[in-house]
Amino acid sequence: MSDKSTILERLSKRDAQRLEKLQKAHKAREEVDACDENEEYFAGAFKIKSEYIEDMLSQVPTMEAKVLPSHFDNIKREANELQKYVVTSSFFLKEFNMRKYLGIVQNLQTKCYELEDRYVPRKKFGFSKKKLPKSHIEKQSSLDDADGAGKIDSNKWDEKLFGFDSMANKVLTLENDDIFQRDVTLRNLKNCTIALKGVMGTLHMSNLDNCIVLSGPVTSSVFVEKCTNSKIVTACQQLRMHSSIKCDIYLHVTSKGIVEDCSEIRTAPYNLHYGDLEKHFNMSSLDKKVNNWDRLDDFNWLAPDIPSPNWSVLDVKQRISSWDEWWSKSPPL
Amino acid sequence: MGFLTILKKLRQKEKEMRILMLGLDNAGKTTILKRFNGEPIDTISPTLGFNIKTLEHRGYKLNIWDVGGQKSLRSYWKNYFESTDGVAWVVDSADARRLADCGRELRALLREERLAGATLLVLANKADLPGALSLQEIREALDLDSIKTHHWRIIRCSAVTGENLLEGMDWMLDDIASRIFTLD
Repeated sequence: MSDKSTILERLSKRDAQRLEKLQKAHKAREEVDACDENEEYFAGAFKIKSEYIEDMLSQVPTMEAKVLPSHFDNIKREANELQKYVVTSSFFLKEFNMRKYLGIVQNLQTKCYELEDRYVPRKKFGFSKKKLPKSHIEKQSSLDDADGAGKIDSNKWDEKLFGFDSMANKVLTLENDDIFQRDVTLRNLKNCTIALKGVMGTLHMSNLDNCIVLSGPVTSSVFVEKCTNSKIVTACQQLRMHSSIKCDIYLHVTSKGIVEDCSEIRTAPYNLHYGDLEKHFNMSSLDKKVNNWDRLDDFNWLAPDIPSPNWSVLDVKQRISSWDEWWSKSPPL
Repeated sequence: MGFLTILKKLRQKEKEMRILMLGLDNAGKTTILKRFNGEPIDTISPTLGFNIKTLEHRGYKLNIWDVGGQKSLRSYWKNYFESTDGVAWVVDSADARRLADCGRELRALLREERLAGATLLVLANKADLPGALSLQEIREALDLDSIKTHHWRIIRCSAVTGENLLEGMDWMLDDIASRIFTLD
């Protein structure tokens, strides 16, 4: 009998212990769940882990050669873990921060590889790299040159392009059926007024200087690159602007406009008027009520809470309120 | 058993594939992704980072990563290379001006060690637009025939009409599946 009661007593004691342990674990898990998924917690955890890796990297010079390979393996594993941690946290991290964290991880990784190269010389492996033929390299570098601003753009697909190319001091006009849903290109123009009264598919502007572009609605995207001192009046679904300086955009954009490598860009709402504009808007299926002209995204400025220094809203007093006189006049020099 | 074998085995079970969608800006990557997923495509803004979509197709779980194509984002592409099974390279067929640029970026991508085993699908998007280049012209401009390091295929498509998108994706799935799920 006494045996039975001691066993029972022991059992119930164990049961109580088990329950208590479960409860503790449960509570601990709850606490972790609650604080695990916010940015502050993440930043803290990330800092600890990245410092740990940093630490391991700094130990490298003092370590013996024969333990180094395994040490580097450890570092790489930690760095990979950290990268995975950042990526799996993507659902609550801001994109800008996420990129920042990934950048830190990557720096650690490159540092690790550099140190490994220096302290653990790798065995040379059998294959030798084929040298690229010289002509190929030259070709590539000449392509790179063509990328620079100010140069005349051209390539072998030129005959496919539709629009205006390489002109100065002119008034250039295209209307209705000429441009309907087409991909229109304006390129290498100086002191020109370009009037596009119609609906286009896309509109590309490249290398314009001191020009005025008056455009009807563009169904998909407007693409601007290497333009200077110009005024562009356009309506579109997307605006993409690259490497341009000192341009005023009178814009109607139904999704979002972006700038990249631009400065001194000013925006104002679309204010063009001509006879068939209303009709053209309907044909383009752009929503006239949605206009995000004052909310450009800048790829060189990803901080969400501080406005980009590269573009601003054009002061109402400085805006051109009517374009009527410009339909037939080229811009002043 | 090597680490790779273990990884392969793991992935086999899940029938999971990771697909990276890249290309110059304004090629239509996000539009293609949204079209796949049956989302509206008329409110898409230029991608300021990346989009991830997980979809089920023919019993596979596809993780599709759509990374922005602006110049300043291209240097970040490499962050997404790890364990990629397939690359969908999206080309704007109507943008003859930047084909040379496009070819150059594609070359750089194919030299990447971490993409060595990946299947390459070139999507000649916007093929329905007036003024779009033909498939043959794009194939030549990008010098696709000289690619010996990857399984590749080019297909003309339109994200707006949806034409040929599934065909392209199906080819890529088959090619990837024959490579990593052969033990089934």
